[in-house]
Amino acid sequence: MFPVVSVTLFLPLLGAALLVALRGAPARTSHAIGISVSGLTLLGAVWMWARGAPGGGFSQVEEVAWIPSLGAAYRVGVDGISLPLVLMTAVLFFASFVFSSHVGERARSYVALFLLMETACLGVFVSLDTILFYVFFEVTLVGMYFIIAGWGYEQRQRAALTFFIYTLLGSLPLLLAILGLYLGSDPNTFDMRAYIDSPPLTGLAATLALVAMLVTFFVKTPVFPVHTWLPLAHTEAPTAGSVILAGVLLKLGTYGLIRFALQMTPDAFRDLAVVVAVFGVFSALYGAFVALGQTDLKRLVAYTSVNHMGYVVLGVAVAAATSDASTRALALDGATLQMVAHGFVTGALFLLVGMLQDRAHTREMGAFGGLLRIVPGLSWALVLAAFASLGLPGLAHFPAEFQIFLGTLDVYPLAVIVVLGLAVTAGLYLRAIGVALLGKPNEEWSGLKDLSPREVLSVGPLLFLTVLLGVAPFLALDVIHATTEALLP
Amino acid sequence: MISSGLALLQGMEGMQGMGGSMEMNMGRDLPMLAPEIAVLLTAVGAIVFEMLRLPRVGLPFTVIGLLVATGLSVPLVGTETTVFMDTFRVDTLSVWAKLILIPATVLSVLLAYPEVRDTYREGTVYSLFSLTSLGALVLAGAGDVMFIVLGVLLSSLGSFALVAYPRDDRSTEAAMKYLVFGSVTSAVMIFLITFWFGATGSTLLSDLGRLEGMPLAAAAGLVAVLVGLGYKAAIAPFHFWAPDAYDGAPVSVAAFLSVVPKVGAIFGLAQVVRDLPPGAAGWPLIVAALAALSMTYGNLAALVQENVVRLLAYSSIAQSGYFLLGVVAVGQGGLALQSLIVFAAAYAAMNLGAFAVVLQVGRNLGKFTGLGRAAPAAGAAMVVFLISLVGIPPLGGFVGKLLLFGAAIEAGFLWLAVVGILNSVLSLAVYLRIVVPMYRMPKEAPASSRLLVATWAVALVLTVAIGVGAQVLLGRLA
Repeated sequence: MFPVVSVTLFLPLLGAALLVALRGAPARTSHAIGISVSGLTLLGAVWMWARGAPGGGFSQVEEVAWIPSLGAAYRVGVDGISLPLVLMTAVLFFASFVFSSHVGERARSYVALFLLMETACLGVFVSLDTILFYVFFEVTLVGMYFIIAGWGYEQRQRAALTFFIYTLLGSLPLLLAILGLYLGSDPNTFDMRAYIDSPPLTGLAATLALVAMLVTFFVKTPVFPVHTWLPLAHTEAPTAGSVILAGVLLKLGTYGLIRFALQMTPDAFRDLAVVVAVFGVFSALYGAFVALGQTDLKRLVAYTSVNHMGYVVLGVAVAAATSDASTRALALDGATLQMVAHGFVTGALFLLVGMLQDRAHTREMGAFGGLLRIVPGLSWALVLAAFASLGLPGLAHFPAEFQIFLGTLDVYPLAVIVVLGLAVTAGLYLRAIGVALLGKPNEEWSGLKDLSPREVLSVGPLLFLTVLLGVAPFLALDVIHATTEALLP
Repeated sequence: MISSGLALLQGMEGMQGMGGSMEMNMGRDLPMLAPEIAVLLTAVGAIVFEMLRLPRVGLPFTVIGLLVATGLSVPLVGTETTVFMDTFRVDTLSVWAKLILIPATVLSVLLAYPEVRDTYREGTVYSLFSLTSLGALVLAGAGDVMFIVLGVLLSSLGSFALVAYPRDDRSTEAAMKYLVFGSVTSAVMIFLITFWFGATGSTLLSDLGRLEGMPLAAAAGLVAVLVGLGYKAAIAPFHFWAPDAYDGAPVSVAAFLSVVPKVGAIFGLAQVVRDLPPGAAGWPLIVAALAALSMTYGNLAALVQENVVRLLAYSSIAQSGYFLLGVVAVGQGGLALQSLIVFAAAYAAMNLGAFAVVLQVGRNLGKFTGLGRAAPAAGAAMVVFLISLVGIPPLGGFVGKLLLFGAAIEAGFLWLAVVGILNSVLSLAVYLRIVVPMYRMPKEAPASSRLLVATWAVALVLTVAIGVGAQVLLGRLA
């Protein structure tokens, strides 16, 4: 059978190798390679989606033995949780490549690094082997470091280094947890499916492993109080870097939370679920309130990410705490859908803010005014994305957050104060729209041009998918639900 | 040195005449030693060609001689026996030491060629490489404390001369430090190791079991072996000579010293602890402490070096620490020997490869700026060697370290494995100091030499092959 998963996974890496070999390739050629390779990868992801994940367990598994006596192998495959994330990743990278095609500065390295990142991000979602997972997890870190340090804004060196040290130290505990799982498994193996089918650790060992995983994935998600790398990294990263950082890299944290913490140490997680839920609620509220205080549009979007990811963490905690299968499936459906929705919506928001910055060289919302009359296309797109982000029914975030809250109400009724976050985000987005888009047009910006075809092509698909997921969430939920209802005994 | 070795052999032959219980059969034993004899003849031949004023023959003769020695080792795989009345072992460790260290010597000789060609001492240098590697092989197969002493001396004397051969101030100073340090540690070793002979009445390692119940004598001999072999393997705190000697010596010699005598000494240590009574004088804990110290100190010190040779010298001290994880586990499970052998093979390939690139680029860290753009192939190879040293899959260094960690855990040293993992992450920072500037704007293109490129290309293929094909290697070891 044709190894669709592996081909899709390594296609971007091949493209990156091709670019490395093509010394002196002009910017146009580099971007053409980037767009076509990521386009092919997107086709591969769509093919994977078409094959689906029947039965709820892992499917489309591809396996090559490496060191059988140590239980190490190359194992990839997808289930209903990873499959939507794979598709979302491929879409976001494609959009990023289209958007970035105007980058002239060292375009060859830029495209090659993004292609490397694409393989690494897809790799994290499709890995069924902990060694493989960890390697891809770390490679995303190295790739992002170089993207921020090489193409970021004024304080890029400092931001890149903070990001790197923070997440490198953050991922160390995961390595120890993986070692613990390996030693606990019998026979010793790195196969994630084996860990999921029969969790190898119990008692204190499981709790320690869980805490180690929580540290790693909280830093990546990020959850208050280990979120401090995020605003700095976002404000200094180039636009496409921010799209990937918020759209894909943050999901590595929450995906790990489900795949590792929830599935491999379920009993320990049940005991600690209330703590995780408190972190999630606090993070969501904190992100919302801090976002309210921002005047820099990019920082504002960055902090709303903390808010949205807080809901995901809460959803996972609820799923871990409950023993009722339908509530668990409900909360996990919501959490997974929220990840996908956040990818599309925040990706679109960062692209649109980046477009504004490209034109005006500022991101201060107070510097704008009446943009709706000057650049109607861009402004309406921004309004649509902002409404989606604040959770308007009919757009992508609504069905996801609704399910998370419904599950929460069942398990932790008190945690429903998190709904307050919705009101705050609604307020802050309406304020931003009011200040920047409505009102009297600012003379200074009267010469701004509206969306170019390149920009329409990059942000259009994301907005389309945002609406599609809002109107017909079952398109994704059917796949997700098949897995979540089969998850855990 | 050779004469003293022969004298020892003759002496043992005499002992047999006195009616030893073991039969000594030259007809059986000598073919078992064919690889060692081939290395010795290669060393002698290189000098002879030098004396005949045929310097151009030196390199091909040495390379072919060593390859023949490697070839002669292949049929010995799977042998588990001893020769010369138990004093020398032809077992898994010793045979794989030959299969790893003799080819490593070939690569080192190739690295030295551009530095020594057409000088009047070309043949002497090749001869010294062969003799020193013979010393390492003697250590790896030692079945008797006398062979440990002989191996340390043989490989040390050769190494001193190799460090000093350029005869300039730097190398002379480096060799002097190395010599003084080596003489003192060897003297301590010989003095203390007599306690084992006194306590057991035998110099055979296989009689060390008699030390049961004699903790002080066991401890004295243990200190002797750790000091002597720790110095050879550059294990902290017996490492002080290493950075100076590596830096003063030609790069090819530094590459050789960091691999061949080191691995020989580690294997020798494994041969010794194998026969100690379980836990005698707390040796596992002591070796574990040395491992932790070596790894941590080596990586921390490497973190602040500006000279790539010194950086790799400290990194090789850290790598000795990883090796000790396998030594700690000797006798406590199947993984110990496997891990030592796999890691030794991977380490030889990746470390020699890294030094080969250094030889091409230059000692100063600043020279690496832009290497990845000016010479993409050499840059990529360097990245592979360095990340393999960190232990990133699917490269050889990863498999070796995984086995080492597994062996340590199997032996009940979970904390040591955790220290090892933390150190691996620390070492990432060390090696990234070379990698990150490699992708900045280049200042100058490095000189290129076909022989150097061929050498690191071979090392590169081996580094990847040992990782990807680990199962094949493990299958031969099981």
